[in-house]
Amino acid sequence: MPEAYLTQSPRTAWRVYDGEAAVLCPDDSTLNTLNAVGTLIWESADGKTAVSAIVARICEEFDVDPERAERDTMAFIAKLRERGLLTVSETIQQAP
Amino acid sequence: MPSVVELSIGIAGLRTAVITRDPDVAGVVRDRYEGFLSTGPADWRIEIGPPSGGVPFSKDVVVRRDGGPARFSVRRHDFAGTVDLGERTADLTLTSPDDVSINSFLRILYSLALVEARGLVLHAASLIRDGGAYLFCGPSGSGKTTVARLSTDAALLSDELSIVRIAEGHVVCFGTPFRGELALAGEDRAAPLVGIYFLHHGGRHAVEALGPKEALARMLPNVLFFAREADVTAAVFHIAADLVEAVPCFDLSFRPDPGFWEVIRNA
Repeated sequence: MPEAYLTQSPRTAWRVYDGEAAVLCPDDSTLNTLNAVGTLIWESADGKTAVSAIVARICEEFDVDPERAERDTMAFIAKLRERGLLTVSETIQQAP
Repeated sequence: MPSVVELSIGIAGLRTAVITRDPDVAGVVRDRYEGFLSTGPADWRIEIGPPSGGVPFSKDVVVRRDGGPARFSVRRHDFAGTVDLGERTADLTLTSPDDVSINSFLRILYSLALVEARGLVLHAASLIRDGGAYLFCGPSGSGKTTVARLSTDAALLSDELSIVRIAEGHVVCFGTPFRGELALAGEDRAAPLVGIYFLHHGGRHAVEALGPKEALARMLPNVLFFAREADVTAAVFHIAADLVEAVPCFDLSFRPDPGFWEVIRNA
């Protein structure tokens, strides 16, 4: 599988409280509240951290097996993409 | 041709000059904003033109950037106007000189103008008691007017739409003329905000502290803001976040009697 890189939509606004992010989507003013794992993925969506590296960090920090971590991460990424909160690229993205 | 009338309305520390040749519009502004008429140099200028003659402008409220980064078009079924945040000017055409139309436009204008001043217009009742302001947020039917009606020993800032502004970590709550079911304008006063309460009716009075994440999630639906542009929406989000981080927030379940002040005091 080719490597993938996540980038937060510049249209979002967000804050982190006690390790959990609250992310606003301006298109519909929905507030998305993320758990600790989701927040790790969100904060890693900098355009240059590979998804494989994010999965490895989740396994390390949350004691999850790699297969499950990858499956859950991909499902979470698909959800955030669907909501327009992040984009996925096969190449490293430069900061805007 | 009728002469130009200029009236100044001061709300939340922002003074707005309303300029019109229409005597009916001038009369509506004088009556509606009686307690908030002010003197001195205006921060904002609104020019209200002659009525359009009743042609509806837009079915829903539409506020969107139009012709420049600081310029917004504002339309509803009964008015159309523009707001220029850079020039601090606005123009408005009404279908008829109606106080509801002028009031609605003014609410939208203040919701936009206050962003720069780190302020928000909130669906909330607010009251001053013992020198501090208390904000009671909630949608229609949550009890804002009931709380205001039951607080006979408090000064009413608003039973419907309140304004808060943040400066150097301090939050001040202001009275507004934006009234709800009480049909009574708030007082033109301000006080430091000491608590935010998310209201709902219950079988007993109960207060529960909320963390900032939950408070922010509950605050955002109460922010009056119609523009959808990402930069201004993000600015509003961060003001709301600063607000719930600076002021203690609570869930408030209450019965329709003044006993809720007792649980607020003991929380």
